[in-house]
Amino acid sequence: MFLQTVITGLSIGGIYALMAVGYSLVFSVLNFSNFAHGAVIMLGAYVGLALATKLNLGFGLVLAGSVAGAGIIAVLNEKLAYSSLRGRKAPSLYLMISAMGCAVFLENLVYATIGSRFYAFPEFFGRQVVTLWGSSVSLLDGGAFLFALLAIFGLHLFIRRTRTGIAIRAGVCDMTMCSLMGVDLNRLIAVVFLLAGGFAGVAGVFLGVKYLVYPTMGWVTNKAYIAAVIGGLGSLPGALAGGLILGMVETFVSTYVSSVLRDVFSFTLLIAFLVWRPNGLMGIDSEDKV
Amino acid sequence: MNSPAAPLFSVRGLTKHFDGIKAVDSLSFDVAEGSITGIIGPNGAGKTTVFNIVTGLYRPTAGSVLFRGESITGLRPDRVVRRGIARTFQNIRLFNRRSCLDNVMTPLFQRERCSFLGSLLGTPSTRRMERELRERAVGLLQVLGLERFASTQADNLPYGFQRKLEIARALATEPSLLLLDEPAAGMNPEETRSLADLIAEVRERFQVTILLIEHHMDLVMNICSPIVVMNFGALLARGTPDEVRADPAVVAAYLGKGRGRR
Amino acid sequence: MDYILSIVTLACINMIAVLGLSIFTGFTGLFSFGHAAFVGVGAYTSAVLTYYYPVPFPLALAAGAAAAGAVSLVIGVPTLRAKLRSDYFAIAILGFGEALRVILENLGITNGARGLPGIDDHTTLPVVLLCLAGGVVVARNFLRSRWGVACVAVREDPVAAELSGVRIFRTRLLSLVVSAVFCGLSGGLLAHFLSFIQPVMFTLTQSTQLLAAVIAGGMGSITGPLIASFVFIALPEALRVAQMWRLVAYGLLLVLIMVYRPQGLMGYRELSSLWGKRAGPSAGRRP
Ligand SMILES: Nc1ncnc2c1ncn2[C@@H]1O[C@H](COP(=O)(O)OP(=O)(O)OP(=O)(O)O)[C@@H](O)[C@H]1O
Ligand SMILES: [Mg+2]
Repeated sequence: MFLQTVITGLSIGGIYALMAVGYSLVFSVLNFSNFAHGAVIMLGAYVGLALATKLNLGFGLVLAGSVAGAGIIAVLNEKLAYSSLRGRKAPSLYLMISAMGCAVFLENLVYATIGSRFYAFPEFFGRQVVTLWGSSVSLLDGGAFLFALLAIFGLHLFIRRTRTGIAIRAGVCDMTMCSLMGVDLNRLIAVVFLLAGGFAGVAGVFLGVKYLVYPTMGWVTNKAYIAAVIGGLGSLPGALAGGLILGMVETFVSTYVSSVLRDVFSFTLLIAFLVWRPNGLMGIDSEDKV
Repeated sequence: MNSPAAPLFSVRGLTKHFDGIKAVDSLSFDVAEGSITGIIGPNGAGKTTVFNIVTGLYRPTAGSVLFRGESITGLRPDRVVRRGIARTFQNIRLFNRRSCLDNVMTPLFQRERCSFLGSLLGTPSTRRMERELRERAVGLLQVLGLERFASTQADNLPYGFQRKLEIARALATEPSLLLLDEPAAGMNPEETRSLADLIAEVRERFQVTILLIEHHMDLVMNICSPIVVMNFGALLARGTPDEVRADPAVVAAYLGKGRGRR
Repeated sequence: MDYILSIVTLACINMIAVLGLSIFTGFTGLFSFGHAAFVGVGAYTSAVLTYYYPVPFPLALAAGAAAAGAVSLVIGVPTLRAKLRSDYFAIAILGFGEALRVILENLGITNGARGLPGIDDHTTLPVVLLCLAGGVVVARNFLRSRWGVACVAVREDPVAAELSGVRIFRTRLLSLVVSAVFCGLSGGLLAHFLSFIQPVMFTLTQSTQLLAAVIAGGMGSITGPLIASFVFIALPEALRVAQMWRLVAYGLLLVLIMVYRPQGLMGYRELSSLWGKRAGPSAGRRP
């Protein structure tokens, strides 16, 4: 029972982490909470769904297509809704409100055009189950978890090792400085959104395969946002840790306390972290000077 | 004016570190009641930081602030104001989208006891009080020569008048000690001279003690005595204008590091 | 005719909530993605009182408003005391609103997610208009009072406000409570107008709608948000636009306003200042 709970927690946590990475990436560079991320994840799922059902593509191609689609959507989102705000150095709150507007807009646009129907992906993995130390793990959950770890690790390497990655890290430290040193800020930010969107695509497909595809499926990303806050907004290892912690905590609360209280508990955790530890467990200090 | 009485205000061993930088370094000095005390020092000497500590915006790393013989160290800003210390800001901080009158009304209101329910219902007595406060606010604007701007939005005021509005707003808290942070910054020599007269008038009329940071040497030398000189957060010299001017350490600090702005 | 009356009633009920949020957001400068929850608290409290107990309608309305005010303290005290970054505060209150909704969905007395049907329909247009008119007068008086002046000072410059003797925490908290009371009143009226309430009527989406009205109508204005809120409710209702297309429009509007006109339609002005005084106090603003 205990081990089963841990495993379920980890597998949910892996998906939370995958989604939380997108929040953290954007926050680390632009210092605002991009609530449109959930909508991008949802759109990524629909892109994947279209590829899988209309074109009958295999899982790998679906994933790739969804990553590309969501990445492009995220970049467009930035260009249309954030870049001019960024240009006139608007408060991060304005960016957040604009993001919220995007989320409401996209979600309801899908609702109004495609409809509120629930769609299922084709069965890519069947319902295969692996038995691990007496507890059962579905192949999908196990695969998703491993893939999430690998993807986040890959992103970590990208940011540490490549030129663009290093430029992003410099941008995190100081945007103005960065533009003075001749780094093309717009390109840099486009790359960041492309990455965040790519992760949204992956998360969308996994979510869609595990559950279903529907307009408000992005709502789960509220949880991913909580995970990002717990880990420390703007920190990639934090997003991973926060996702896993939240996944475990939620599973334990719903198994041993009550599944009703689970969401209340998570939101309380969000508020508690914002109030008492706004930089999360691993976040960098983002306090403004007086 | 060497009064034997205890000073109105003093700082003792005041120290403030900003990770590594000693912005203020065991600084001690007194301000006598009724004086206009000047603080001068090169850019970055820690003058504004002293004001920020005194008014409760920063917590000192060490040391204490005494006002009327009591410690006010680490008190919240609004409590400090209630004790009778008001200030203006080097980088002007007005309530930008409000009229000049409203800017001055704000602190006046905070000193009044009002009935919450009465205010919501707009009872005659609250209306009457509002009128009285408005008259007092207009009076304050008049003293600073701002009455014709009463209904002008604060951020539409010319720069020099914005500084004066800050003084009016500070006076509206009915302080006994007024801290002015570079009141003449951005003013031309003529405006600066008239500001000197104004400050002297304000002291007479409102019976306030004034502590003033300034880079315009003529202004400081004319109206301030004593003068406190800071350098690298520490006290460099203290004395009358003549004493300070003749102090070799002061001369060295100013020649060695440039003369600050203007 | 009945149809038009009901549209106007609904719009006016919404205007009361927007009026409240306008005090908090437009005049105190704090943003919230959770005020629909206070509407919900007011709706459920008053509805439960008239539904299960023989409480008279006006008393139930007052209780709903008071309950919303009290509930706002629960989130307001810790978050406002901690002086959170403004966006963190908006998120914290979002989390609070969602948590509240989950609770409403799982209580027995609220009949859970299925909602509470068959509430007496006490709310009539005259009642709503009376509440709205009273609300506008009280809001105006509040903003002229010592506390309202403090709210605006905090919005303009918290540091300067504090050094004018304003107690920041108390001022913000009071503003939150006042705005929640308005929202609670609006909720009570709503419950007794629709006769049916459900937790999904008080979610993030509704909070975003309220905020969109305040932002579109204009920060620091009473009339602007009221007009915006009326248009937001009445126009799509009259044109019989489906709910989701309305939300598409609200979302888009929010983005467009942030991009092109963050101060909103009537930013820092009132309707009365538009005619008459040409060179009024806010004319000719410098960049
Ligand atoms: N909030 C802060 N965080 C970090 N360092 C600070 C902060 N405030 C001031 N400092 C530093 O403390 C030192 C003193 O600053 P302060 O503003 O007190 O100088 P000043 O004497 O008022 O200078 P000026 O004449 O330019 O106004 C400076 O080195 C400044 O960079
Ligand atoms: Mg200074």
